[in-house]
Amino acid sequence: MPPIERYITEATLEVFATMIFIDIIPGEPLKGQNDGIDSNLTSMIGLAGDLQGVLAVHCPETAALGITGAMLGMDVAAIDDDVRDAIGEIANMIAGGLKVALAESDIATELAIPTTVLGKAVRTSGQAGVFRFIVPFASPVGDFGIELQYVLH
Amino acid sequence: MAKNVLLVDDSSTMRKIVSRSLRQAGLDFGDIFEAGDGLEALDVLEKEAVDIVLSDINMPNMNGIEFLREKSGRDGIKDIPVFMISTETGDDIIGEAKSLGAVGALKKPFTPDKVNEVLGPFM
Repeated sequence: MPPIERYITEATLEVFATMIFIDIIPGEPLKGQNDGIDSNLTSMIGLAGDLQGVLAVHCPETAALGITGAMLGMDVAAIDDDVRDAIGEIANMIAGGLKVALAESDIATELAIPTTVLGKAVRTSGQAGVFRFIVPFASPVGDFGIELQYVLH
Repeated sequence: MAKNVLLVDDSSTMRKIVSRSLRQAGLDFGDIFEAGDGLEALDVLEKEAVDIVLSDINMPNMNGIEFLREKSGRDGIKDIPVFMISTETGDDIIGEAKSLGAVGALKKPFTPDKVNEVLGPFM
């Protein structure tokens, strides 16, 4: 089994270091339902191929605004199209990093187009036998989490 | 002479970031045009004087590969160089893009230094 949790952590750190310029600190991956992340906005991207599932970025409003502001180099006061688009693009880049890492283990994946939903504590769910974890991250603009729910063929 | 650039990405955020990265990279460019997918990009290329295209691959309506294929069949625009900017960095998809005329690829996420390294020789 490839170290998928580590791949998610490393891909997220790379995205934030190169394009967002916010220092983030990863926590231990959480595998229960109670992950403690109080999100208001979730961006999801579907994965197909040898690894099938959904990658989701869960952000509370403060984190979504702070991350988008840092990404665009401007103040962002409210959740709008820019915020939805920015967090969706982060999901896309993290999934891309996961795809590249998995390819080195001959696991081929394809990415869908991200979808962003607004809502309190949105979580994904799947059929029995699906693996699921969330990697929590601490940041100066608030905590957020990267969730992966997947089946590996 | 400054080059006019067309940014093709369904993410308006990413178009803003690429535009900012071009400035931060210190590259000499003129006008920056934007398109949200391959169809819009073809329309811009037919109407505007574009020197270089930077295109995502994974887009709705017409993706980057379909855009390259369609562009390669249009006499007035087929020779405009295209760089792919994408999370899709596998040899197969980049190889397909290059076989359809793409001249290079930049992996997301990227830094302004990387933008300079990849695009600098063409600007």
